[in-house]
Amino acid sequence: MSKILEARSMNKKVKLGKDNELHILKDINLEVEKGEFVSVMGPSGSGKSTLLYNISGMDRITSGSVKFKEREISSLKEEELAKIRLESMGFIFQDINLLKNLSLIDNVMFPSLVSKEADKSAVYQKAKELLKMTGIEKLAHNNITQGSGGQLQRVGICRALINNPDIIFGDEPTGALDSKSTEEIMAILAEINKKGTTIMLVTHDVKVAAKTERILFMVDGNLVAQKKMQKYDAQLDDIKEREESIMKWLVENGF
Amino acid sequence: MFLKIVKNDFLRNKIVTTTVFVFITLAVILAGSAINNIANLIQGMSDLQKSAVPADITVMHAGEYEQAEIDQFTEKYSDHIETQETMILQNIDGSNIHFGQSQTMAGTIQDISFVVQNKKFDFILDLYNEKLNVKEGFVAVPIYFMQQHDLKIGETITVKSGGYEKEFVISDHARDFEMNSSLTSSKRFVINQNDYDEMIEMNAAELEYLIEFKLFENGDSAAVQSAYIEAGLPANGPMIEGKIFTMFNAMSDMAVAIVIIFISILLIVIASLCIRLTFLATIDEDIREIGVMKAIGISKTDIKKVYLNKYRFISVAAGIIGYLLSFAAVNLLNGNMRLYISSDLSGSLKYVLSLIAPLLVYFLVVMYCQQVLKRIDKISAVEALRSDIMKHGKIRKYSFPLLKNKFFSTNIYIGLSDVWKRFKLYRLLFVIFIVCTFIVILPLNIYNTMNSPEFSTYMGIGKHDMRIDLRRTDSITEDFNRLQNELQNDSDIEKYAAYITSSYQVKNAEGSWDFINIEIGDFSVFPLKYLEGKAPEGKGEISLSFANASKDGLNKKVGDEVTVMVGGEEQTLSVTGIYQDITNGGKTAKAHTSLGVNEEAVLWYIVSMDLVQGVDKHMKMEYYQNAYDSAQVNDIKEYTVQTLGNIIDQMSTIVIGGIAIALIIAVLITALFLRMLLSKDMSQIAIMRSVGLTSKHIKQQYMAGTMMVLILGIIVGVLASNFLGEFLVSMAMSSMGAAKIELVNVAWQTWLLCPLALIIVVGYTISVCCKVTVDDDLSVVLRS
Ligand SMILES: Nc1ncnc2c1ncn2[C@@H]1O[C@H](COP(=O)(O)OP(=O)(O)O)[C@@H](O)[C@H]1O
Ligand SMILES: [Mg+2]
Repeated sequence: MSKILEARSMNKKVKLGKDNELHILKDINLEVEKGEFVSVMGPSGSGKSTLLYNISGMDRITSGSVKFKEREISSLKEEELAKIRLESMGFIFQDINLLKNLSLIDNVMFPSLVSKEADKSAVYQKAKELLKMTGIEKLAHNNITQGSGGQLQRVGICRALINNPDIIFGDEPTGALDSKSTEEIMAILAEINKKGTTIMLVTHDVKVAAKTERILFMVDGNLVAQKKMQKYDAQLDDIKEREESIMKWLVENGF
Repeated sequence: MFLKIVKNDFLRNKIVTTTVFVFITLAVILAGSAINNIANLIQGMSDLQKSAVPADITVMHAGEYEQAEIDQFTEKYSDHIETQETMILQNIDGSNIHFGQSQTMAGTIQDISFVVQNKKFDFILDLYNEKLNVKEGFVAVPIYFMQQHDLKIGETITVKSGGYEKEFVISDHARDFEMNSSLTSSKRFVINQNDYDEMIEMNAAELEYLIEFKLFENGDSAAVQSAYIEAGLPANGPMIEGKIFTMFNAMSDMAVAIVIIFISILLIVIASLCIRLTFLATIDEDIREIGVMKAIGISKTDIKKVYLNKYRFISVAAGIIGYLLSFAAVNLLNGNMRLYISSDLSGSLKYVLSLIAPLLVYFLVVMYCQQVLKRIDKISAVEALRSDIMKHGKIRKYSFPLLKNKFFSTNIYIGLSDVWKRFKLYRLLFVIFIVCTFIVILPLNIYNTMNSPEFSTYMGIGKHDMRIDLRRTDSITEDFNRLQNELQNDSDIEKYAAYITSSYQVKNAEGSWDFINIEIGDFSVFPLKYLEGKAPEGKGEISLSFANASKDGLNKKVGDEVTVMVGGEEQTLSVTGIYQDITNGGKTAKAHTSLGVNEEAVLWYIVSMDLVQGVDKHMKMEYYQNAYDSAQVNDIKEYTVQTLGNIIDQMSTIVIGGIAIALIIAVLITALFLRMLLSKDMSQIAIMRSVGLTSKHIKQQYMAGTMMVLILGIIVGVLASNFLGEFLVSMAMSSMGAAKIELVNVAWQTWLLCPLALIIVVGYTISVCCKVTVDDDLSVVLRS
């Protein structure tokens, strides 16, 4: 197995005032394997989101190094980072973050149509397949005002997948959804992961974490513990058991 | 919370707030100084009138003359006429007046005369509105010539005519209520009585009589005029009413004031648009706070007050500053007035009148804000507190799907369709671009029209290369015949036509007699574009100028009949057409040669001609000027330029000013707009970057959208200035005698140069301002 992400002594500080600095990420060392399904947990304000955005190159780290597919990305130019995001990464957010003026299917196709060589009909087929897979093909031509939170999050996932990324990052993608929608979304993500796409999620929901295979635990900007498990299989594994063991582990680590 | 909102609003919109302030101030300055100028004009005119005591009726006459008859008439109508005086003009041709290093005033279209000051009224004044009192050996020169030939007090002019030759030192400007304006075609030089007598003795000049009447305040001018004509008193020149002089005097300053008021109205519109822009851009961010205020029970009126007070404050401050500065700015505008009308503009009327500007601007701005703030009513407390922006707004039909795009790159397509989808937002920029194009193109078209040979249409003459004007001299008939002979044999002349204008009596709408100038000749040689109907072609036909045919004139339509007195007999002529003419007060007429010349009242002879192709016009002009001393030889453009006088200069200032103002406004508003738009769209931009678009891609989107708005704005602006502009100009000019101006538009200027200049300047601004910053962490905007 090869590494898709590798952070070494990753630090993030933000300036708050003149000589007031906030040290959000403290010397993080972390590796993510290709095909892994990782979740990040920790109390609110511990730096989970910051970790996700810095390790993905969306934000700039203050010191240290981050490698994506063996390539150092912390010093890349804006355009090169954008290219990596476009071709190799997908993001899903709690706020979903769709473009207001595009229909749902156009939101999905958009990242794929940016490059000039794009074959429109192929992209359209792909988008339709994705919408079908996530069960919302009927809504394809709706405006984004005509969809529920769960439906829109599926659109977000489809958009993240349109360019066949190597990895998908999610910042609490189920944070605003009810438990039924959460379960459906997690099933979709598990399916995607099974096909080989690496996934890294931030969550504070044990039920979500229980469906991933490795849990990182953060406290106050430090990566304090990790829990490695088997890939979740709905047929073989008892989800309740996994959840309980995670809860126990979290309490042990002072959550 | 109130204070917090105002403070936030100001900090967030420092630049916009400042711009709004600057625009309002500018608007007040411009409107204030224009009104100030009008106030000065009113007061200046009334002062000038008080000092100059112009005549109410002035009759021009050349030839035999008996003062006793006039005295009898005056006696008979002493109910109306307060007093009468006859000024004897000594007409000297421009070519006989020498100045500087061997320059002469030849070629002027003005009739020049030397006079002495009147005793009773119609005084000619100096720049302090004091009656001129010229010493022996000195001369007071009309302001028109002082300006035209750049003469200075202390310089000399020499009059050489026949055996007469005398040098005069210029001692003063002559401010002449009756003949100040370039539109009045005579100018009076004032000299000392002794010099004047010597001139008469030496027979240096043609004599012309200015028979002037001063009426009582309630004297009936029209009655006296018709009585004068019926009495058959000397009158072979035009009869002019006092109020015409007032109009001519005020016209050019009035025109400038109106243009400036127009520009200041534009500025107010733009300031209002800026306010709207600020509001649109920030209301989304303020929605939460407004919602909270509503939720805790603060009334809508109070919330609106918070916003309104900010603009109240800005308007009051801008109003005071603008009002004060307008008194400085007005000095840039009133140079012309200080020279021609009044050097002392210290009247107090302006202080009161120009207060109108800040007050009006204040009310406009406040009213507009109230209009914009109505949106606050629509924000419900619940709606405002809900965080998901996605849920508000009605469901619209989805337009411009990405798949429909066949021609553009996806980014450009998105930029273009955004304009359609959010037209309410872009509308503002669209209007600005239309307005800016309008204020560049319209003055340019007017300027080009004035400078084009087509302008002859509005001066009642057909297009031709060159014209020779012969004015009344003893030898006029001989000269005229000699000239025609010579032209006949001149192989450089392709064709020519001679026109004789004389004064006739005509039956007016009330059935009494008036004077009318009728030009006779063959009008098919140099055809004129008629407003209605066609030129007179045969016996018994006449055509009238627009002003003559209008209700204030003879009130005739094409096909009506006009009764004219020719050689003591009444002749009935039918009106074949109506044409536009701004010369001679707008009142002229044309008839076929068969009408016959009114021998006692010939005013002038004109010969129009076209040259054979390739002949040097200037050589030809010089030749005829030298061969016919007393003639005025002009090409048609020179003739236009002199008739319009300083209006053309003022117009070119306005063209340049218009271009500068348009560019400044376009650049400023574009920059502001894009700043607003980009900050309003901050989250959408972050989303696009998160899926992998570069700042360049995003720039392409915004550039495509705004460039399209720019180009559409320019197109609509050009069309508007051509059609709406033509309508506005025609309306303004109809009082002068031209009711249907067709603006000349020089295609490469209106469709290429100006649009290109706007596109380059604004396009550059757009490309600079569409910058998406990439320095900050991208996630900051994306996180909840
Ligand atoms: N750009 C920033 N400026 C200031 N403080 C920040 C910034 N980004 C994050 N923080 C702070 O850093 C801490 C960690 O934030 P975050 O990564 O969002 O935590 P989590 O996602 O675990 O709740 C929080 O206290 C947050 O307020
Ligand atoms: Mg977070």
